[in-house]
Amino acid sequence: MFKFIHAADIHLDSPLVKLDAYEGAPAGAIRGATRRAFENLVQTAIDEKAAFVLIAGDVYDGNWKDYNTGLYFVARMGRLREAGIPVFIVAGNHDAASTITRSLHLPDNVRVFPADRPATFRLDDLDVVVHGQSFASPAVKTDLARSYPSAVPGCFNIGLLHTCMTGREGHEPYAPCTLETLREKGYDYWALGHVHRREVLLEDPPVVFAGNTQGRHARETGAKGCLLVSVDGAGRPTLDFKPLEVVRWEAEVIDAVNAASGYDVVERFRAILSQHLQKNPDVITVLRVTVEGETAAHDEIMSDPERWTNEIRAAAVDEAGERAWVEKVRLRTQLPPAAGGRKPEGAVGELLALVEELAADPEALSSLSSELADLEKKLPREFKEAAEGWRPDDPGWVKSLLAEAKPMLIRRLLQGRGDG
Amino acid sequence: MKILSLDLIAFGPFTGRVLDLSGGAEGLHIVYGPNEAGKSSALRALRQLLHGIPERSTDAFLHPFPKMRIGGSLRSAGGEVLAVVRRKGRGGTLRAADDRAAVEESALERFLNGVDAALFATMFGIGYEDLVAGGREIVQGGGDLGRLIFAAGSGGADLGAVAEGLQAEADALFRPAGQKQKINEAVGRLKQRRAELKEAQLSGQEWARHEQALKAALQAKAGVEAELAAAQRSLSRLKRIEEAHPVIAGRRETLKALETVADAALLVDGFAERRTDALTRLRVAQSERSLARANLAALAKALSELEDSSVLLGHAETIEGVLQDLGSQRKAAKDRIALETRRNTLRTEARQILRNLREDLAIEDAEKLRIRKPEAVHIQELGAEYERVVTRIDGTREKIPGQELALASVAARLEALPKPRPVDDLKRPLAEAEEALPVEKQLASVRAQAGDLRQACMQAQARLGLAASQFQDLGRLAAPSIESVRIFEDRCDGLDRRITALAEEARKTEADLSEIGRRLDEARLEREVPTEADLAADREARDRGWRLIRRKLLGEVVGEGEMVGFTASNPGAGSLPDAFEAGLRRADETADRLRREADRVAAKARLLADQAAFRDRIAKLRAELTHAQSEKAAANAEWAGLWQPLAIAPRSPREMRQWLSDFKALVEKASEVLKLEAEANALDRAADDRRTALGVCLRSLSETVGATETLGALVRRARSLIEKEEGIGRQVEELSRERLRLAGELDSARSRLITLEEDHRRWQRQWEQAVQPLGLGPGTRPAEANAVMEELKSFFDKLREAEVLQQRIEGIDRDAEAFRVKVAALASAVAPELTGRPAEEAAGELQRSLTAGRESQSKRQALQKQVDQEQAKLRKSDGAVGEVESLLKGMCTEAGCKDSGELPEAERRSFRRRQLEAQLGQEEVRLVQLGGGSTVEDFIKEASAVDPDGIPGRIGQLKDEIGRLTVEKSELDQRIGAERTELGRMDGGDKAAQIAEGIQAVIGGLERDVEHYARLKIAGRVLALAMERFREKSQGPILRKASGLFNRITCGSFEGLRADHDADGKPVLVGVRNAGKETVLVEGMSDGTADQLYLALRLAGLEHYLEANEPMPFVVDDILIKFDNDRAAAALQALAELSQKTQVIFFTHHRHLVELAAKRMPGSILIEHSLA
Repeated sequence: MFKFIHAADIHLDSPLVKLDAYEGAPAGAIRGATRRAFENLVQTAIDEKAAFVLIAGDVYDGNWKDYNTGLYFVARMGRLREAGIPVFIVAGNHDAASTITRSLHLPDNVRVFPADRPATFRLDDLDVVVHGQSFASPAVKTDLARSYPSAVPGCFNIGLLHTCMTGREGHEPYAPCTLETLREKGYDYWALGHVHRREVLLEDPPVVFAGNTQGRHARETGAKGCLLVSVDGAGRPTLDFKPLEVVRWEAEVIDAVNAASGYDVVERFRAILSQHLQKNPDVITVLRVTVEGETAAHDEIMSDPERWTNEIRAAAVDEAGERAWVEKVRLRTQLPPAAGGRKPEGAVGELLALVEELAADPEALSSLSSELADLEKKLPREFKEAAEGWRPDDPGWVKSLLAEAKPMLIRRLLQGRGDG
Repeated sequence: MKILSLDLIAFGPFTGRVLDLSGGAEGLHIVYGPNEAGKSSALRALRQLLHGIPERSTDAFLHPFPKMRIGGSLRSAGGEVLAVVRRKGRGGTLRAADDRAAVEESALERFLNGVDAALFATMFGIGYEDLVAGGREIVQGGGDLGRLIFAAGSGGADLGAVAEGLQAEADALFRPAGQKQKINEAVGRLKQRRAELKEAQLSGQEWARHEQALKAALQAKAGVEAELAAAQRSLSRLKRIEEAHPVIAGRRETLKALETVADAALLVDGFAERRTDALTRLRVAQSERSLARANLAALAKALSELEDSSVLLGHAETIEGVLQDLGSQRKAAKDRIALETRRNTLRTEARQILRNLREDLAIEDAEKLRIRKPEAVHIQELGAEYERVVTRIDGTREKIPGQELALASVAARLEALPKPRPVDDLKRPLAEAEEALPVEKQLASVRAQAGDLRQACMQAQARLGLAASQFQDLGRLAAPSIESVRIFEDRCDGLDRRITALAEEARKTEADLSEIGRRLDEARLEREVPTEADLAADREARDRGWRLIRRKLLGEVVGEGEMVGFTASNPGAGSLPDAFEAGLRRADETADRLRREADRVAAKARLLADQAAFRDRIAKLRAELTHAQSEKAAANAEWAGLWQPLAIAPRSPREMRQWLSDFKALVEKASEVLKLEAEANALDRAADDRRTALGVCLRSLSETVGATETLGALVRRARSLIEKEEGIGRQVEELSRERLRLAGELDSARSRLITLEEDHRRWQRQWEQAVQPLGLGPGTRPAEANAVMEELKSFFDKLREAEVLQQRIEGIDRDAEAFRVKVAALASAVAPELTGRPAEEAAGELQRSLTAGRESQSKRQALQKQVDQEQAKLRKSDGAVGEVESLLKGMCTEAGCKDSGELPEAERRSFRRRQLEAQLGQEEVRLVQLGGGSTVEDFIKEASAVDPDGIPGRIGQLKDEIGRLTVEKSELDQRIGAERTELGRMDGGDKAAQIAEGIQAVIGGLERDVEHYARLKIAGRVLALAMERFREKSQGPILRKASGLFNRITCGSFEGLRADHDADGKPVLVGVRNAGKETVLVEGMSDGTADQLYLALRLAGLEHYLEANEPMPFVVDDILIKFDNDRAAAALQALAELSQKTQVIFFTHHRHLVELAAKRMPGSILIEHSLA
């Protein structure tokens, strides 16, 4: 009968977070990822001959101020207008915070729901009604859905809502509501936005978070895109996920158990990477790699983490060329208990004992972090706020550094004294 | 842990080499390997046995990777023993001693106490480079105590370098006041990117402002454009009106003039031309009419003057036919003459031919000679056959004598050949002899070989001292076995050694004995040392005196003799009491001396005892020596007996061992000689048989055979004999075949000749019959007959041609008669006057008359044509005059004139009217143009309302206004353009977004660097803390031990070491001298001393470790090469002491170090191993 597209959380022009460029990393290929994902959305709507497009909030990133982003959005909406596709939008918390929306003139195929009350837009030729309400301010704490109108009989009713539902980890608790409230409205489809992870909360009627169109950091893993909803003659919707993203974030754990050397670990990484490449041939895979497990290669790896990070990245360049990016390598290996059973005595033993002692003493740890006071002063605030890798006040963080520093020290102390 | 043995099964240069390291309590093992002996390989093997062979081993030059094996057996502190084999590979490289069963690494790890490869090399190993680096480190570090103690405790020489390396790496990342360090630089870049982002971001207000400005400018522009349009309109209108004023005035004038010609008829265009044309045409037509009339009269007159020739023309066709025939007649008359001449010639020629053939025949009878075609052919065929028959007979006849000659020649040659001898019986012996030829060759080589070998054997035999006659029996000679020689050798060597040793010992003992004698003499020379016997003797003498005195005192009788005897025994004493006193004194003195010189007494006693013992020993040695010598003599006799069978006098067993091996070789060789000689004889016999057989055969063919001829020579002879005889046989055969062939050919030639002659005769008969009709005789040759037939053919041809010509002449005569009759008839009909004239003449006349008649006829026809033309012209000109006159009449009516004379004036008025009307039209068109859409009348009214004089001023004003508005519009256009450009720049581009991405990249990199920096800083801090803590804990014991060691290794040059403080109050290590009064900073120590200080610290650290931990072998690699002998000995001593606690394995290239150690240390501590 007809098809429509449900997308949300586009966050146009918000950058991919903390992608440390390295030699051979596909820096050019990931540029403008959110825009390109959005272009894929527009193209999908046109290719699929969608009857209309729903955007459940957060077209923009709240603190992003470049009006060009708005102009770009208008231009893409113009393409949908040429294709005769109407677009329905509720403003999300980010849109409400954005300065871009204020003076932007949208083409007449785009209809933004008012913020002061719920409204209903009607598509007469399809007997479709869309109910929705925009965020008036960045932090809406009331249940907007409650005051949505009841279903219009004889029509396919869609609720368009930016909400955290009953709360989702990592997402602000805005416009909270319950599944029950939504079900009671008697709509045929609830198009939700705000939560970046795609989720079908209810099958009948479908209550769906579309997830965002492009992952932007290491925690937004997996395929990202929109839902293509096909409604049959009996008004029954069928959901079809359409990936849109150009960059896919993934997190992988490399099990270093039984690895005899760092090279074994790199080989294991290669195997995992090649699976990703086969599975996702059309996107650039951004990997966060965590190496963990008890391994005899622990000392070798941990004594020069820079080097092994680079080995893994070099392997990625070698294996995938421009098709993969190793975002970060976290080395979390441990020595097998058998090999570490007896501790060497003497000065080195003293050093090891000291490390253990320090690790167990939060005060000692915080006094160790005083070594970093100079740097603390120099680092810009936004870095300190954003960086996972900078928590000098956290003894746990200092402890992990200490754990990494230990093998590095031992290796350096004993360096070059093996067989030669 | 102790390494009991290092088994270099297959490693580096070693194959199956075992170092037994089990000796000693723990043992100081000195492993000596001169250059290239593989000292370094052995050292590596020791380490790799414990911790595995590295992936890229340099020790695979002899044994490839899969074959590499290091074995070893270890003993733990608890006494457990483990024997393993290490192979090269990626996993499971440890095996049990049998190199089969896998052994878990953990089994080995139990022995290693958690000491990994690096720690083992660092803490339990020291090499020359480490020592030098350690010494340098000490000097460079200024004796930093913490560092030194830690280094001593860990074995790490590069502690300073580690700390500095950490600091340097951290500094490269970040410095508080830096710019170029990675982190500093990234922070700077981050700030810069932020600024760029701010710059690149477009705010919504800005966009709205530009859009608003654009809108306002567009509006203003629209207003200005409207004003501008209005002003331009006004200006245009005024300009039009200004232009229209003169046109309006002109129009008025035109209207007035039009009124004067308002009634004039409007004549069509070209009226005047038409009129002039009509009048001209009228005049022309009238003059043409007069001319036609005159011409017609003249033509009528000329016609009447022509004569009539119609009769003649009526017969024109007949006349022309006659004229045609006339030509043919004339030609035929000419031809007839030629034909007659030709006919006559032919007839004459025919007659001539006939006369040549048959004079008897007239031409008319010639028919008899005509022969039919078949007959002619028959004659020709016979002629041809004649040639064939004659040629064959001639050919056959010519061949026969040649064939007869050849036959005779072959017979003669056959007769001359000798009779071949039978050689078949020779072939088999020859083949056998040929087979045996190589044998003969081989024989020579075998003989030469045997001769050479025998020669060599004889020489060897002579060298071995054997008689030449023994050669044949060499193999049977009973030489002693090498084993018995070896036993004898050992026995003799043993005896020799024993004799030498005994002699040496006897010599030494004798020397010792003489030394004792010398020393006794010395003692004696110095002053005789009293002995116990002396004392006893003195006391005895004293007691004897006392007894005499006592007896005297008791009043006993003392014999004079006794008295004198006693007194005399004490020289200088005159009386018994004197003598007794002297004796008493002497005894006391001797006793005193014995007491006083007890040492010397004892020494002397010892010397004497020794002397006795040595003498005993010498006697015993001599006896043993004699025994050994007699044993040796017996052995020698036995030895000589052993060689009896060979009849040679044996030299020493060692020499005889060589002799035996030479002898064995000789025996082998001799047997080979005999074998070769036997082979040669056998070969010789075989060849001889063949030779005899072949000789017999040859002799039977009456060949003389020399007794000395070789088999080869006989074979060659036999071969050439067979070839020769077989050649003769083949020739006889060939010639017989040839004779047979030639005889056959001759016979067949003769019989063919007879047949051919018969053919010739038959032909002759046929020929006679055939040529008879030609009147030719039997002897006529075919060529003649052919010539006659040719002549006859020519004769008949000519006759036939003459006949044809005759018939043509007769035909010409018939045609001439017919022509004449035809001409006569025509003349009588057309021109009677010609009757009787010859036909050809009359015909010529008729022709001339006909030509004249025809000329006059054509003239008449031309004149008649002219008449017709003139009449037509007359008719035409009459019509034209009428037509023009009526036209002019019509034109007069049109112009309203009475006659054509008035027409010009009418035409002028019409033209004027037209002219004025056109002008008026133009003026009105112009006014319409200027009127801007108004009607002419309205526009005139409008224009008239405007004062012409006010117009220029008004136009000036409008132009000014337009100029102002144009400028205003252009300004607005610019503003619009600028705004549009601004808005165009705000195109939705992603520049700002890209900068934001760049910022994230910087943050990402920064995070990595910051983490690394933090790691380095913390590592540096931990290292500093550890050093300090270890110093605090271990400074006392380690320093104390190091101090003692340093004292000893420097051979007392330093008393020891002490902790002190430098100028900055930092704890440092100093050397102590001069009872603690003098301290020497490490900077002040020589390089060698610094090395020794490092060694002392290392050994102290190790001892400290061993106090709390299980022992672990300490591997020392040639560290003493730069030490002088004393310090090297001291250092070795220190290592020897260490070896009481843990095994020490000392690898060295230097022999003198081994000797030095051997000299200074007992064998129970030092165990030597050599890799040489």
